Amino acid sequence: MRQVDPWRFTGGFLSKILSARIPDEPSHPEIPWTEVGKPVAESKVALLSTAGLSMRDDAPFDMEMEREKPTQGDPSWRRLRADATSATIEANHLHIDTGYIERDLNVALPVDRLRELAAEGAIGAVADSHYSIMGYQGNDSSTLENQSAPEIAAAMRSEEVDLALLAPV
Amino acid sequence: MIWPFQRMIGMPRVAAIEHPFGRPYGDVGDITTQREVLLAALAVFGKAREPGYLEHLPFEWHEDPDQTKWHPAEPSPIIALITKRK
Repeated sequence: MRQVDPWRFTGGFLSKILSARIPDEPSHPEIPWTEVGKPVAESKVALLSTAGLSMRDDAPFDMEMEREKPTQGDPSWRRLRADATSATIEANHLHIDTGYIERDLNVALPVDRLRELAAEGAIGAVADSHYSIMGYQGNDSSTLENQSAPEIAAAMRSEEVDLALLAPV
Repeated sequence: MIWPFQRMIGMPRVAAIEHPFGRPYGDVGDITTQREVLLAALAVFGKAREPGYLEHLPFEWHEDPDQTKWHPAEPSPIIALITKRK
């Protein structure tokens, strides 16, 4: 099977910048691993997006900070209700065209498709919450890694999530 | 998706896909692709047997790169800064 071309849509400028920063081998000495405990058809599934999604009645991701300090990104996270729609969600991400998400949330957070799979029995259940971070972290991802990620994991555990699907945008 | 980045940071299971930024599951209103991508990603949980598992999904985007718009209306602050420094 052919390999996915990671640079197909980046353009030459961005691929030159990014490819120079990505070594061939993983930099983490040990990759985390948790065995899958049950079949997908019996699992409660949560979605996680890096699109900077927040409920409209929640605080949005801080884009002004990034505009003032371009090497920094908002490291916080947001909980999204499972019944979220494009109308109830706001997308704040300065590195992509968020207009597609505003028209159809499923392009980045397929909440409708997940509900359909649950109704068909292809998954066990939809989690009560989904989650979002803002993917651009600039030069320092330590807060995201050491604070936000453990908090998201704890929230998922409290809702008895079995599988989490992270989709970078 | 820039899957070498996911590999670099040590994601336990990766389903690589050749979709443009901002629309990893498929285009606006493309219910069929959104569903198939979601199912293919979920299937990875049943296939991966060891950390660092990477599967290349077979989906092809329906537009050529030069016809695919994903950039924001204004360059991101870091891109604007890099461009200014050049």
